Amino acid sequence: MEYILHLLIFISIYIILAQSLSLTAGFSGLISLAHVGFYGVGAYTTAILSVNYGIPFLVTLPLAMLLSGLIAIVVSTISLRTVDDYFIIITLGIQVVVFSVMNNWQVLTRGPLGIPGIPSIKILGFPFDTKISFLLLSLFFVGIVWFLLNNISRSPFGRVLIALSEDEIFTKSLGKNVYKAKIISFTISAMFASIAGVLYAHYISYIDPTSFTINESIFILSIVIIGGMRNLWKIALAAAFLVLLPEALRFVGMPNSIAANMRQIIYGIVLIMVIFKNSDNFKSRSSFYTS
Amino acid sequence: MQLILNILVSFSLLLIVSFSFHQLYQVAKFFHLAHAVTITFGAYFTYLFSVQLGWSLCIAITLAIICAVVIPAMMEILIYKPLRNQGTSSWKMLIASLGLYVILQNLISMFWGDDTKSIRTWSVKTGHNFFGAYITDVQIITIAVSVMLFVGVLLFLRFASLGKQIRAVSSNEELSNIFGISSDRVILWGFIIGSTLAAIAGILIALDTDMTPTMGFHVLLYAVVAMIIGGVGSSKGLIGGALLLATAQHLSAYYIDSKWMDATAYIILILFLIWKPLGFSGKRLKKVEI
Repeated sequence: MEYILHLLIFISIYIILAQSLSLTAGFSGLISLAHVGFYGVGAYTTAILSVNYGIPFLVTLPLAMLLSGLIAIVVSTISLRTVDDYFIIITLGIQVVVFSVMNNWQVLTRGPLGIPGIPSIKILGFPFDTKISFLLLSLFFVGIVWFLLNNISRSPFGRVLIALSEDEIFTKSLGKNVYKAKIISFTISAMFASIAGVLYAHYISYIDPTSFTINESIFILSIVIIGGMRNLWKIALAAAFLVLLPEALRFVGMPNSIAANMRQIIYGIVLIMVIFKNSDNFKSRSSFYTS
Repeated sequence: MQLILNILVSFSLLLIVSFSFHQLYQVAKFFHLAHAVTITFGAYFTYLFSVQLGWSLCIAITLAIICAVVIPAMMEILIYKPLRNQGTSSWKMLIASLGLYVILQNLISMFWGDDTKSIRTWSVKTGHNFFGAYITDVQIITIAVSVMLFVGVLLFLRFASLGKQIRAVSSNEELSNIFGISSDRVILWGFIIGSTLAAIAGILIALDTDMTPTMGFHVLLYAVVAMIIGGVGSSKGLIGGALLLATAQHLSAYYIDSKWMDATAYIILILFLIWKPLGFSGKRLKKVEI
């Protein structure tokens, strides 16, 4: 039972991550590999603040969101000067820089040693230290993020994003500020990603840079791609599927030493298969009118 | 003086890797990130043949290059070519190549383990004294081989028949199809040439420092940065980009700390994007200029 609850908590964290990435990657067509960087910024902000200064969760969460939002604004203003494949490479670079800050700024982040002993969440005196209560809390956040993303995507702003991902020049000619819309969507998605990071840090109670590598970015991107880029329901299902898939390896009796590698290999294979299957522009065919 | 020599060594490695990647990008028109694994395979196959099987280094290196080139050629035939025929857009090809990279890199970690391996069976020497600085045999070989390969491939592209076809396809694929050049065949050759360069670079890196399963990705990221700084579509720009990057990295390692070399590379890239978004020379990155 504990095991199932643990998996459900992980699924909800990944739903937040993947749905927030879907705002940039799916709706505005900016494939970002830096998403895990913002996830890590959230986790590290809350860890440092709550371990070193004992600041409660209700304060660290907005601070984490604010910090990753600020980083996202700065970073996207620069990186959005490029388009398409170049943008992907730049986000890859941002991810590398964030990782190297986490790994090397030892005064602040303790480097590869990681930060242990992150306290469990306490809201107004009520501790969320059992798995079932934490699951309810994270489902609450999934609900909020889902609701907000759903509304954003239906709002006039969401329509601008969809339009610019289909034809940027045409959207510009309608008098929409494409550059600003891209920056806003990138920032919102980074802020949501940091919520997932805060939850992760308090749940695991220990973080180190290896949880926030480029492989994790590829994993989240594959959830979004498998979920069909813009469909929030399907992305949630894809998150559940991809989190549960390697758990099947446990029951096959795979030795632990190669299980981690096998997990990555399975993700890679699934990713390539999906690209093969959907290669006739699944991006523009998705839920423009239905959602 | 030691600093200049170090810069020269990493410059030549960077040059050859970014040249090989650029070569592939010109022909195939997408970022083949699984190129990283070719570099790693070059090193690990050499390790397999020379240390684990105990063959002589010459045979081992030759076999390793062949094996490391066969893998990307298979990728091109089995995965990229069908995708291209379906009309997949270039960012999806990029994602597919990331998937391939993840698969192959984890296969390497499964077979050889994550720890550092070395193919240097000989004892470490202090190296030659060169105006008060030290340079090892391997580093001299690295510089010589890189420069020779760079010039050689450039001459090949300019004068050989196949090289001309490669240039034709990279400038306009449809038009060269009309003129009877099979673009699939030329792209395959582009993969073979680029991968050969990458495998050689991997072996040189492994001879100089040691190897880990993720070494290829690090090198490739630097190479991509050098390529973007230099401006896509120009070999002279590549030289400038690689030189600037190598200099900046070694200066930062010398004055700040060697662990910030990754960050330095990307900060330079960002500065370039702000003030000179086109690189030293090269094509526009924007879709349309209004």
